[in-house]
Amino acid sequence: MNDKNSIISSKVEKYYQDYGARAKELKAQGKTIIGWVCSFVPLEIITAAGCVPFRIRGDIREPITKGDNLLETIVCPFVRSCFDLSVKGRYDFLDGIVIPHACDSMTRSYSTWMYSLELPFSQFVNIPSVVKESSFEFFNEVLNTFRQTLGEFVGKAISDNDIAEAIKLHNENRDKAKALYEFKKSDPPVISGVELAKVLTVGSSLPITESNSLFDEVIEELKNRKESPRKKGPRIMIDGACLDNIELIKLIEDTGANVVADTLCNGTRDSLPHADVDRDPIDALAHRYLDKVNCPKTYIDNKELNLQKDLENRFGDIGYFAKEFKVDGSILYVYKYCDPFGFEVPARKAYYNSINIPHLYLEDEYTTGTIGQLKTRIQAFLEMIA
Amino acid sequence: MSEEKKKHKKRRTATQAAASIGPMVKEFIAGTIRAKEEARQKIAFTFIVCHHEEILAALDVLPLWTENFAGICGAIRDAERFLQRAESLGLSRSLCTYALCGIGFDQWREEIGEMPPNPPWGGQVKPDFMVSTGQILCDPRAKWYQASQLYMPDVPIYNIDMPYPLFDPKRDHRDVWGYYHKYIVKELRGFVKFVEEQTGNKMDYDRLTELVDLSDRTWNLIDETYKLRASVPSVMGTGDAMNTMVPMCFRMASQEAYDFFFNLKKELEEKIAKKEGEVEDEKYRLMWGGGLPSWFALGDFNYFNSKGAVFPVETTYRMVAPLNEMDLPETKDPIERLAWKWLGYWTFWYDKARKRPGSEPDVERLINWIEEYKIDGIVMHEAFSCRTWHVGLIWQLNQLAKIYKPIPVLTLGKGGEKTVENRELPSLILESDIIDISTYSEVDTRNRIDAFIETLESVRQSKAV
Repeated sequence: MNDKNSIISSKVEKYYQDYGARAKELKAQGKTIIGWVCSFVPLEIITAAGCVPFRIRGDIREPITKGDNLLETIVCPFVRSCFDLSVKGRYDFLDGIVIPHACDSMTRSYSTWMYSLELPFSQFVNIPSVVKESSFEFFNEVLNTFRQTLGEFVGKAISDNDIAEAIKLHNENRDKAKALYEFKKSDPPVISGVELAKVLTVGSSLPITESNSLFDEVIEELKNRKESPRKKGPRIMIDGACLDNIELIKLIEDTGANVVADTLCNGTRDSLPHADVDRDPIDALAHRYLDKVNCPKTYIDNKELNLQKDLENRFGDIGYFAKEFKVDGSILYVYKYCDPFGFEVPARKAYYNSINIPHLYLEDEYTTGTIGQLKTRIQAFLEMIA
Repeated sequence: MSEEKKKHKKRRTATQAAASIGPMVKEFIAGTIRAKEEARQKIAFTFIVCHHEEILAALDVLPLWTENFAGICGAIRDAERFLQRAESLGLSRSLCTYALCGIGFDQWREEIGEMPPNPPWGGQVKPDFMVSTGQILCDPRAKWYQASQLYMPDVPIYNIDMPYPLFDPKRDHRDVWGYYHKYIVKELRGFVKFVEEQTGNKMDYDRLTELVDLSDRTWNLIDETYKLRASVPSVMGTGDAMNTMVPMCFRMASQEAYDFFFNLKKELEEKIAKKEGEVEDEKYRLMWGGGLPSWFALGDFNYFNSKGAVFPVETTYRMVAPLNEMDLPETKDPIERLAWKWLGYWTFWYDKARKRPGSEPDVERLINWIEEYKIDGIVMHEAFSCRTWHVGLIWQLNQLAKIYKPIPVLTLGKGGEKTVENRELPSLILESDIIDISTYSEVDTRNRIDAFIETLESVRQSKAV
């Protein structure tokens, strides 16, 4: 699939390998680039401010060096990698950074990020942990503070209309991401797991309009694709948090399976949920990020004390994707030191059992050093479900 | 009983007050077991530092502090079997070991329908309900009970969201704390309603006001008491404070807690009058600058003492701040007062931090206490399983060294003349865990302490007068 006219093997590959290249160009042109690290960051407000939201990635091939002098080894290895690259200047084009109240690894290291990077703009966005009417009221206030602070930084009052326009653009992006996922439904899928991961990763490094155009180009290419890059094989879902590199997906696909679905932050968790367009734009964002981004950090009440219903409320998206994408098995992939996902492992396993989806739980560190072990376990799992 | 448990010696305390804590904790645990047997009071699993003790007490609920129970398992070196059970359920050992210990115990008890064999201090009973709160501090506090509910599906949870504004050097927190307050008040009112439903009791707001008053008085009394520890020689160290945290964190809103600190204050005043220090020959005054202790290795404080090192202050479990130094809006509503107190506590160092370039609340607190308690060095502990209190410690020490150099030392200048230069305080970060003893080596820890003491001694000798 190395057709030089292919958008995936040219433009996507180029920006994936030289991640941040476009943001650097835009910075040189005078654009303001704001880095973000988690699905909870309300990107629409960054876009509405006229800034470019840029997703900070880690690099599993890069050993942690400078970061070790500032951030403890007990921090989530993905967050540590993102921080290490940032202090080493990999993202020296950033004008600012936004860290949300997501996990402890992010929240408790906010000061370390803010003071170590010394960027002109740093903001912590305090996302509520529970879903209630009062949480939405509070979240609206938090979002308005973010709007005001970012507006002061860029010297522009960010209007409701600006945010509404940004919501439309980001929703378009979500529609296009959904269209990309549709190409995974066939057997074999039209797009490989590795390809889609690269497309979505690159998309999150571009201004939203450019991300939309890129997705359009990829969709067009896939519509005209004559032959799948994949052969039929076990259809696998990856369930977990942030997987911003292709190594695990490549490992799975190299064994002959196809990664056809996910619940990942860099996948469906982030890319699919829409913000409502028929309500106040700030309120729409509050509902999107609190109610629709399904992260274990957000507590979902089990008022009825019904275990199965509780599992369905919390993990129903797994069942939905498993059905939609005809999944044969799932890999629950959790980073070491990840408390929000780590504490859910028994409940997620119970849910998988309840919907009869074979699953493999892997705890991993953010490094290439574990690939050998992972390969052995994944091969055994695939043999089991074959 | 393992050899490790048999050999383990209790830590020596400096104060009588600290020595009286063991029976108090035993009585908590025994009290929950009795209450369960007699079914006379509802029992709630919950966490410390949530500003809800007054509500629980006013509605006659018996709190069962699950972190405390896990800490006991750790302190008596009997946590491993519960940690292993949690691991067998699919929970990684890298997660909060308090939570793993608690979940492992609960799952075991529920599976066999009775307490696991030889339960530490009688064991942890099944609660009537559970009260979570992750705040913006601690994911395990938000996830622990949800995970436990898998094994106790009939036990309801109320999760209180209690955020506070994080420090922003460019913005006054008072610009935003109004909406934080409004939200916390709603959360606490929702909590009152939940507890009323669970207990069938109706909130008596006069009683609640009395309890909030009592807590306020206790807060101020604790602050006055702990400030006495600035005296030289040190009359009470961090080792003892890891005991006296019990009435502060587990018995707030009770006359017992007030009386405890009243007596402790008296005891410290007497010691100060008699110049009766924690150690005979005090050489180095250290601050426990961050991190929960290894509950199974509190004897290390005695080891420090044996080298002439004392800990007159610690940031850990200093969960109160002087209310009279907080500029909080007036209100008679006890729920609103609890919410303001919450915000006042977490933002206590913000104004001071904003005034010092490069400072930050945690760093500012270190600087203030270095001066107030005449500190020569800082010791921290990085517990591998807890991100809540152990992320940012390295950075705090780096930032402290960058902006604050309090030690004048004599150095030789270029021409051989003696000059005075200022340098930062020596620091030590110990590494282990709160209750997972498998991560601890007494020999390695004590070698590191010895090396640190040598550094302190060299600084002492080179200090300019």
